[in-house]
Amino acid sequence: MNVMGSAPTAHERAIRFTGNWREYLPIAASNVLLIIVTLGIYRFWAAARQRRYLWSRTEVIGDRLEWSGTGKEMFIGFLIVTLVLLPFFLFFQFLLPALVARGKAEAAGGVFMLFYVAILYLAGVARFRALRYRLSRTWWRGIRGGSDEPGWNYGGEYLGRIALAGITMWIAWPWMATALFRSRWNEMSFGSLPFRSTLDAEGLKRRWAGIYLIPLALLFVGGIAGATIGLGGRSASASAVVVALIVMIYLAIPLLTLHWYAKYYRKAAETMSLGELEFGFDATTWQWLKLFLGNIALAVVTLGFGLAYWGYRNWAFMVRHMHLYGEIDVTALGQSATRVPTEAEGFADAFDIGAL
Amino acid sequence: MVQATFYDGLNAERYTAEVAVAGPRSIRVTPSVGEPVELEADELVVADEDKQKLILSRRGLPGWRLILDQPVAPELRAALPRSAHYGGWIDRVGLGKASLVLAGIAGAVLLIGHSAPLWIAPIVPPSWERNVGDAIVGDFGELRCRSPEGDAALNALVERLDPGATGPGANQIRIAALDVDMFNAAAIPGAHIVVFKGALDETKNIDALAGIIAHEIAHVRRRHVTEALVRELGIGALIRTFAGSVGANAEQVVGLSFTRANEREADADAIATLRRAGIDPRPTAALFAKLSKKAGGDSNPALEFLDSHPGSKGRAGNFARSYDPKISYRPALDPAAAKAMLTACANDPKPIKRR
Repeated sequence: MNVMGSAPTAHERAIRFTGNWREYLPIAASNVLLIIVTLGIYRFWAAARQRRYLWSRTEVIGDRLEWSGTGKEMFIGFLIVTLVLLPFFLFFQFLLPALVARGKAEAAGGVFMLFYVAILYLAGVARFRALRYRLSRTWWRGIRGGSDEPGWNYGGEYLGRIALAGITMWIAWPWMATALFRSRWNEMSFGSLPFRSTLDAEGLKRRWAGIYLIPLALLFVGGIAGATIGLGGRSASASAVVVALIVMIYLAIPLLTLHWYAKYYRKAAETMSLGELEFGFDATTWQWLKLFLGNIALAVVTLGFGLAYWGYRNWAFMVRHMHLYGEIDVTALGQSATRVPTEAEGFADAFDIGAL
Repeated sequence: MVQATFYDGLNAERYTAEVAVAGPRSIRVTPSVGEPVELEADELVVADEDKQKLILSRRGLPGWRLILDQPVAPELRAALPRSAHYGGWIDRVGLGKASLVLAGIAGAVLLIGHSAPLWIAPIVPPSWERNVGDAIVGDFGELRCRSPEGDAALNALVERLDPGATGPGANQIRIAALDVDMFNAAAIPGAHIVVFKGALDETKNIDALAGIIAHEIAHVRRRHVTEALVRELGIGALIRTFAGSVGANAEQVVGLSFTRANEREADADAIATLRRAGIDPRPTAALFAKLSKKAGGDSNPALEFLDSHPGSKGRAGNFARSYDPKISYRPALDPAAAKAMLTACANDPKPIKRR
């Protein structure tokens, strides 16, 4: 009885989404209304209400999740971070033109670099803290998640790895992204159990290479085709080929990137564990594409109101494609001893970063 | 007596509990393990309530959860705390009423925000405005035409229009010519006025420039600049002003837009100033007439001037009508000073060619 098994069959899944869009409609509609009449301030409370609904409709091994975060704490978090960051931004915005005006271009360049380094570092910290916050407000069977780390070290690692990826023209991104994912999640825990991720770039290299090589191949083939037609003296068809080529490359790069991320998320889930519990994720590139195109179509068809359903659709998508395997010893799963963070997602909000 | 699911928050073990009403605002919880406990409604918080479940948490005991299946009997529900839907006072007032109240407040905020520049501008300390203005003018850097004779002539023109205006003091007007090929003049925070090379090149008549500068002086004196600054600050444009490069700044400063009411006021002041100084308003009128004709074509540098200064044709009429044949008008500057002013940028000792 103490051990809750979760052998998933075709009909019974260990993690399920039980919500439906009609049930969510009153929440979405009242959120939109209140956001409008408060000139946007209500968005923190709206986010809390949305999550409370989505979490409550997410059933994990027979029990639903619970979101305990409040709009008030997210609003206060936002205010705190704004107060912390505003002088920082103003300082750089005044210092930079002043230096340029006085002809100190090198000094201005140095300040500019420093500014971007600081932004990157804080973006890393923000990412870590947003994840920690969300876990700390997520409850299951009276147990919550969290982390003992404040994320300052992660910010440093993030800065270094992004810089390294940038230097290699993002060729090293699969290694960097997976290492960052590992560092982030290996500091997280749920109750007394730590998350463990062994994600690495293995299996993610070929798709990443495709992002570089396929557009090049397109360019090569198109170039030959264009030249052949051009030699035939029909320059109009040659320029049509060039236009088609540019369109294809512009479409190919985002699609190939999505193709990579689809696998990245599947691998990230497969290499993650929480105690005896293992994870899986089965969304394909095509399913991701349908999600995004569906979001856009919904927003267009509803003249913007559909935006209120993006969060719902994204969450439902994640949950529906997620799997849990193995078992969890609920007696051994004790309460989390991590500190409860207070600044909510202020940092992530300031940098417009999603946590998951 | 109702059966409920109970979690103690110490581990993830699921227990059952029996829940019964103990008083008008209290319940008795008897868990399957542990002691029964009597709880006041104040000690409990509704963590979530929907059509399926009512989830209670307990203050000071993180993870303590009592989960009741819906529907919960009315007597029991009455003994429990209220649940939060929209948050805070909105639940007490109701969504409809709260929305109306909030919409009213939002409307008022927008209205105040819109009219704020009008009443904030007069109370902004000139010293603060001067700092901002100096920072912007500092950014013009080498764009500034540095011809001593040209500067002297510009100052003489301001003195002619507004005696004592260039003397030291809190309201000192500082005027400069900028090496920018654009037909424009601008009033800048901190009582700065800039005239662009394009305007000096194109206007051969110094009296017409006097009219334009009189107009800019009026913007400064009536604190329209501060008003515009406050208005743009409201939408964060001031910050952008400082973020851009030198070239972008020149254009953004010109981009400080005045309202139509501001422009009418400045025109009326300029007409009065010209009359007081004894300068013929007709060249100014002719200039506006010319600009309004030019406005027909596009990609015209004059368009920028017209954009923020609407209705050149009507304005030309206003200036023209102010001509009084009984007044003996004198040229705004003597020929030598006029020449020095029009060539202020051409005679820059270290000319910097841009564009």
